[in-house]
Amino acid sequence: MINSDVLALLTTLKMAALTTLILLILGTPLAWYLAKMRSRFKVIIEAIVALPLVLPPTVLGFYLLIAFSPQHLPGQLWQQATGQQLAFSFSAIVIGSVLYSMPFVVQPLQKAFEQLGDPLLEAGAMLGAGPMDRFFNIVLPITKASFITAASLGFAHTVGEFGVILMIGGNIPGETRVLSIALFDHVEAFDYARAHVLAISLLIGSMVLLASIYLLNNPRKKTMNKAKR
Amino acid sequence: MTDALLKTTYPLFLDIQLGFEQHGFEPFQLTVQQGLSLEGITGIFGHSGSGKSTLLRAIAGLEKKITGSITLNNIDLINSDSNIFIKAEQRNIGLVFQDSRLFPHLNVVDNLKFATKRCKNNRLNFDEIIKLTALDNLRHKSIHELSGGQKQRVALARAILAEPILLLLDEPLSALDRKAKASLLSLMLKVQDELQLPMFYVSHSLDELQQVCDKLLVLSQGKVIGYDAIHTMIHQLNYSDVTSDADDIIHQQTSLSLPITTLDNGQGLAILALNDVENIYLPALDESFTKETLRCFILASDISISLTEPINSSIVNHLFVKISSIDIMKNKVLITAISVKGKIEQEFFINISTFSQQRLALNINQQVYLQFKASAVRTYLY
Repeated sequence: MINSDVLALLTTLKMAALTTLILLILGTPLAWYLAKMRSRFKVIIEAIVALPLVLPPTVLGFYLLIAFSPQHLPGQLWQQATGQQLAFSFSAIVIGSVLYSMPFVVQPLQKAFEQLGDPLLEAGAMLGAGPMDRFFNIVLPITKASFITAASLGFAHTVGEFGVILMIGGNIPGETRVLSIALFDHVEAFDYARAHVLAISLLIGSMVLLASIYLLNNPRKKTMNKAKR
Repeated sequence: MTDALLKTTYPLFLDIQLGFEQHGFEPFQLTVQQGLSLEGITGIFGHSGSGKSTLLRAIAGLEKKITGSITLNNIDLINSDSNIFIKAEQRNIGLVFQDSRLFPHLNVVDNLKFATKRCKNNRLNFDEIIKLTALDNLRHKSIHELSGGQKQRVALARAILAEPILLLLDEPLSALDRKAKASLLSLMLKVQDELQLPMFYVSHSLDELQQVCDKLLVLSQGKVIGYDAIHTMIHQLNYSDVTSDADDIIHQQTSLSLPITTLDNGQGLAILALNDVENIYLPALDESFTKETLRCFILASDISISLTEPINSSIVNHLFVKISSIDIMKNKVLITAISVKGKIEQEFFINISTFSQQRLALNINQQVYLQFKASAVRTYLY
């Protein structure tokens, strides 16, 4: 039988990987749209995307819990489509994580697309490249570092999530019991030794991930590489 | 891509009936109604804000808020009445930008291959274009290692390799030094000679346009104020308000294309045949010069008038002419004179002060001598 902490780790990695993937798929067009948008409503959409940065996770979790319940439309539609309840499920914590980590993926991408601007895309169009061709062969290679940053931040933030998951996922082993919840359980049970193992693992994991991002985006390193060429 | 835009018959005919309006901080309006037969290099001249780049972007398909129509050999590129808008990537029109816009993640050869991979025709030989644009030594260089002139050469080669039916050049030399400008202009002429690709060349430098263009379209404050053969149009500009707006940019001048008789007469001079009896002298040209004619210009302020033949003078050029018009412009006078000795009439433009005009008591139809030094015969390229 798998150790409950290992199970929590696997659930966490599965949730964070799936969330990051969904965020890249949904966040890229949203960031692109925001970077190109000239409408006065842009600030409203930007504020909605950034809301999880300032909103207490429990507030988001509370409203999602209500929305996911079988008494309300999103929860009902989910139940009709899948035959299963949405609240307190793995799917619920993935949806919650996608919303909660959205700004960590959308904002770096939006900034990168804004910095890139239109000049190179216009040059691509004049050489016969259509929109998707331009995205995959000009935008993606040039903004690669921002995609890595966005994915890493989205992943790391999802791994460290607690409030939203506790509200909408509860504490079901193998389903919604992630590392942060398991840590909380150990502390509640005064099992500080196991709490330490989880806490230090999360600390080191986050540290390594962030250091890798900063190393990748280090302008000094880029300059040195250019000089070597 | 519209198949008709892949293979087209030359000469191209471009019909432009467009309106463009920009509101906000810097309101701007462009209205162009002009048919253009595109052969060789057509210049678009105008000062900043005249609308020349907007016109070029409209033809390229990069300006979407256009009303009216642009048709190329009877194919609608845009027609706002019929809701037709062919996207830039489907027009098969090339554009070389002011700032080269090379892809920074690709080296020189990969930037060029970006064009060939998307080219539907593939009639041009990649290596021959590299040779033509003198890029052989730069093939594997990073874009960051190139000078401004080299970047523009890569941008020109990349645009050519996409095999467009029309090439637009939006002030491609504006960021370069004089030497790099001359080198790229020569390259453009070479490319035009070898590929016979019609080009639209936008610039606010009349000197550059004079050297390479066959025809010139002049824009001022969003409107076309003239379109004619290059020398004729430059001469028309001598009388225009466009010159007085920005005297520092263009100067009244005589623009010429003359056959070369002698590259170096052994006494430091080259000789051009003005007509069957008169010559124009200028500083000796390099013996490697291969062209049969030379484009040159003489500033109106560099020519003076004498009532008698100035035979006892170090000034080598003196021509017998008849005054055809006298225009007083502020505190100076623009004299237009026509050569009378040869079979071909050539107009010359001379600036003198009102003081000199009154002292010499010049009149229309009066026959006088023009004199100018060899070094006053200027050529931007050579």
